[in-house]
Amino acid sequence: MIEEIRQKAKELLAASKVDMVIGYRRSGDGVSTVPAFIDSAQDVDSLVWDQNCVYNLANYLREFPGKKIGVVAKGCDARAIVVLLQENQLERENLFIIGVECGVTDISEKCAACPRTVSAICDILIKEKGRKSGAPGNEKDAYAAVEALEARRAEERLGLWREEFSRCIRCYACRQVCPMCYCPKCVADQTMPAWFSKATSLEGNFAWNVTRAFHLAGRCVDCGECERACPVGIPLRDLNKKLEKEAKELYKYEAGSSVEAKPLFASYDKDDPKDFIK
Amino acid sequence: MKKTVKKEALIALIENLMKDHEVVSPVETAGKGVFYRKIDKAKDVYLGPAFAVEPVKKFFLHPSEWICGCNKEEGTASPCPVPADDKKRVIFGVRPCEARGLVLLDKIFAPDDPAGYQDTSYIDNRSRSVIVGLACSVPDRTCFCVSLDGSPVETRGMDAVLFDMGDNFIVEILTEKGKSILGSLPGTIDAGSEKALEAAKEKTKKLVVKTVKAPDSLDASFKSDYWKKVSLSCLSCGVCTYLCPTCHCFDLVEEERKKLRCYDGCAFPDFTLETSGENPRPTKKERYRQRVFHKFDYFKKNFGENLCVGCGRCIRFCPVKIDISEVAAGAPIK
Ligand code: SF4
Ligand code: SF4
Ligand code: SF4
Ligand code: SF4
Repeated sequence: MIEEIRQKAKELLAASKVDMVIGYRRSGDGVSTVPAFIDSAQDVDSLVWDQNCVYNLANYLREFPGKKIGVVAKGCDARAIVVLLQENQLERENLFIIGVECGVTDISEKCAACPRTVSAICDILIKEKGRKSGAPGNEKDAYAAVEALEARRAEERLGLWREEFSRCIRCYACRQVCPMCYCPKCVADQTMPAWFSKATSLEGNFAWNVTRAFHLAGRCVDCGECERACPVGIPLRDLNKKLEKEAKELYKYEAGSSVEAKPLFASYDKDDPKDFIK
Repeated sequence: MKKTVKKEALIALIENLMKDHEVVSPVETAGKGVFYRKIDKAKDVYLGPAFAVEPVKKFFLHPSEWICGCNKEEGTASPCPVPADDKKRVIFGVRPCEARGLVLLDKIFAPDDPAGYQDTSYIDNRSRSVIVGLACSVPDRTCFCVSLDGSPVETRGMDAVLFDMGDNFIVEILTEKGKSILGSLPGTIDAGSEKALEAAKEKTKKLVVKTVKAPDSLDASFKSDYWKKVSLSCLSCGVCTYLCPTCHCFDLVEEERKKLRCYDGCAFPDFTLETSGENPRPTKKERYRQRVFHKFDYFKKNFGENLCVGCGRCIRFCPVKIDISEVAAGAPIK
């Protein structure tokens, strides 16, 4: 696979079809990978592809406005690109999406229930040899953790999240690593007025994490990056999965499945089953 | 003064200490890692090989510290005193790099020169605390203390130190403060254990495999495009600064008539944003360069040593694995 990725990257750069290819390269420890920003065909051989390619590179695409970018995209990364396109954050013609099919459960826990291991959108798809193409993850597993939480009493859940959020250090790595968290001025950074406490108090930490989760309803593509980045191990995916489940059950909406779909937050249906909106 | 002490004896001592001291120690939190906590059960004390995620710094520079306030009154205002926390405190399990981090923070918040800025709350936190260190037995692959005048068994900044010798700890008392807390522990040390300790120390030092040769001055690299290249993947988050045992930047925040000193960090775009809208460090290049320069250049020029103790936290927890040791060592200074 890696040969095909390098080949494509080389071709794109050599022909000046893109200004830069964003992919993965080996880190100094010899095992992990780090995001690679390659702007010359000579450097493409440093690209790698293996189960350590965790990062969602879609997060970097907004940083190069006007530039043509080639990007290596797993299924989840591609879903993020779809949402960014739906929300008019990227120009499709400036992107060359090198879709890579990843092996289910190869990268992390999230992969076991990945709805689409193949890029939802791509200009070329590089397949993994010997794998049944596009095998989805197990839908049942997808919400097992959320259902376990739902089954508990409200006070118990509150206690649990209290415990989790008490560790939050407000580093905002969850926000910074998230392709969907691109507000030019995050509510957490506003000072006039300040919407919630900046202090690492339980109150402020709750407000931060809950606000962020709500703003990702119908937008989170479950790339799992926030949970991976959180240094204190808060199970952020559980929050996001809950809202994902609600969006699916109530509106049959799945984030990142189609560029043409109207974003959930931007849709209004006069036949909405609830009357609060009328 | 050294003595060999049974692990149970130490736990018993901690149990006893809790009667009239606040006791802080690393505690294991299932599936989440190790965190320093104020403990109420001696058996919660974790003195194993795993490192705490957050450094002990937060007990000296609180992430959100109430520094002053005012009372709510009709038509007038009066200052409201901040409740002082003056209970004697013992902190167990502090690692050599974290303890040395405190020595570096002292230079800023509690300098020897009485004419220098003296931070009262930091100084109070320092003086009410006794630091019982724990020498490292299993350095992480991201640790590089040895390259920065440190070592997994050094004791700078500690009042006493524990060496894990399997069934026992060897306790070494380093200061009067340390003696006041651990002096009552029974035990002596025999020549054999003394020798075993020296051998173990040498062995542990060799386990730190990461080495870095940071240049003496980064000056010549300031304008280089290198800083753009190395910061391309940076997310501008707060992980590296908040988890660093020596980073100490803060922001002042007002909430409900309280003024709070909250952690802030040079990686955030808002850190240097001025009211006019001007931002002197507008991109990741300037921000990340600042962090590396503060650690490996500016501080050394002002205080004679690097502001990095090689604890490896920023490498371990950086969501995109930026390695400050590689970045500093690779800076183009010619
Ligand atoms: S909220 Fe987390 S899982 Fe969802 S898109 Fe953002 S980083 Fe990915
Ligand atoms: S990454 Fe974790 S610790 Fe940091 S702000 Fe987000 S939830 Fe809090
Ligand atoms: S932790 Fe890493 S990504 Fe976050 S600001 Fe520091 S270097 Fe950048
Ligand atoms: S800069 Fe990184 S390695 Fe150095 S002391 Fe800070 S967290 Fe540790």
